[in-house]
Amino acid sequence: MIAFKKVTKSFGARTILNELDLEIPQGKIVFILGMSGTGKSVLLKNIVGLLKPDSGELYVDRFPVHQMSEHEMMDVRKICGMVFQQPALFDNLNVFENVAYGLRRHFELSEEEVSRRVEESLGHVGLKGIEAKQSHELSYGMKKRVSLARTIALKPKILLFDEPTTGLDPISTSRVNQLILDLSNQLGTTSLVVSHDMESALKVADHIVVLDKGHLLTQGTPAEMQESTIPLIQDFLAEVGAP
Amino acid sequence: MFKVTFASLLIETLQSLFQQGVRVKEVVKYLDHLAFKSLNIIVVCVSFAAAVTILEASFHMKLVLHDDSLVPGFASMLIVRELAVVVMSLLLAAKIGAGIAAEVGQMKISEQIDALKLLGINPFNYLVLPRLVACLIAGVLLSLIANAVCLLTAALVTTWSLDQSMAFFMTAFRRFVLMKDLGFSLIKGALFCGIIPLVSCYYGMTCEPGAGGVGRATTKSVVSSSICIIVLDFILTLVFSSFY
Ligand SMILES: Nc1ncnc2c1ncn2[C@@H]1O[C@H](COP(=O)(O)OP(=O)(O)OP(=O)(O)O)[C@@H](O)[C@H]1O
Ligand SMILES: [Mg+2]
Repeated sequence: MIAFKKVTKSFGARTILNELDLEIPQGKIVFILGMSGTGKSVLLKNIVGLLKPDSGELYVDRFPVHQMSEHEMMDVRKICGMVFQQPALFDNLNVFENVAYGLRRHFELSEEEVSRRVEESLGHVGLKGIEAKQSHELSYGMKKRVSLARTIALKPKILLFDEPTTGLDPISTSRVNQLILDLSNQLGTTSLVVSHDMESALKVADHIVVLDKGHLLTQGTPAEMQESTIPLIQDFLAEVGAP
Repeated sequence: MFKVTFASLLIETLQSLFQQGVRVKEVVKYLDHLAFKSLNIIVVCVSFAAAVTILEASFHMKLVLHDDSLVPGFASMLIVRELAVVVMSLLLAAKIGAGIAAEVGQMKISEQIDALKLLGINPFNYLVLPRLVACLIAGVLLSLIANAVCLLTAALVTTWSLDQSMAFFMTAFRRFVLMKDLGFSLIKGALFCGIIPLVSCYYGMTCEPGAGGVGRATTKSVVSSSICIIVLDFILTLVFSSFY
């Protein structure tokens, strides 16, 4: 479970998250939608302690993240995986090493087990057999999927995705959507997905949250969202061509 | 930790040395990558700097004293106490400072540093420490080389243009330059070179997004490390002068 209680985050004079209240229930898939620049990435980074709330409380699985030191955050980061908006692959490592890095660090696995987990994770994103490639040899969409594989390889309890399907082809997009569903069904993973993609949200989400100017504009199930009369949401729906 | 300052970078990096040690393989890689690939430009530049020093000093001495026999002695002193190590460090600041800032800055804006943290990797230990250790070692080795090359060039220029023998230069060198001059020169070399990765990683880690951000980070890192080297040189020269 993740809970934001009146969380405020500003950069200089600009308030990005403004007394945000939000709860992400255990084992659910929650999509966060919002215009570019509303602070969706900032919200995710607060959860894993890459940014610190200025005020308010933020709990991740009972860990009071808002008052934990960088050192203590390690415990949270072990249960919380994050796929960044950018691929963020380590330039100096090949694909295999990128995916294996966290596995070797967080778990005591034999090399065979590491190889198996790497292969399995790359399989999930449809990229078997590119283990030996360097990250600069990959296209953007491939990098993005390798970074997904790197995060899911660790099988964290909580997964944060920052626009996992932006820039992917339709086939890869549905594969990633299916992956998020599978992880939730098979491992009970809690997923928080930041996205612009209403179509994916309607298909995959248990719950949709819409942010606007640092506030929670509205939230509900996909069915409730489709009924919504809020202009911003109708604009998002219009993009999908939903009724 | 959430906002990197120069002080926090220094403290976290040193702390991580004691908590996690340093990866020797990385240090060796950077030693080759950062230091020995710069050897050629250092050799060329310090040679010319030494030649100019001899010619200039001789010109002045002849003008005023009508005798340049003291040039080899004074020049070797200047070379060992200041010239070789300062020229070497400033060259290194330009060559590797920009590279480090660009590399780390790129990692920062492409969220690689955040990804490292999420995998439980201390970015100071991973990025800064191996470069720092490599540069400290390189500083000592390159100072030795720069001093040797500088003195050799000075000796050659002395025999060619000052009508004095190599033996005369060697005698003057031994009379004027003390062992502790060389010792202080190596300490200066290590500290000057140590500043470069600290300053450059700082600007890299605080790099703003966009290609412009990386550009500004590299420029600032070269300018700031050069200034730091020159100011630190002044301070160290003051401190070391109390040992004579
Ligand atoms: N580290 C930072 N320092 C200063 N300002 C920041 C920082 N991170 C984000 N911001 C600002 O916060 C605002 C929200 O950024 P954020 O990246 O969260 O937007 P977003 O909702 O993820 O947008 P997008 O859909 O384009 O990714 C932006 O205006 C951005 O400039
Ligand atoms: Mg974003």
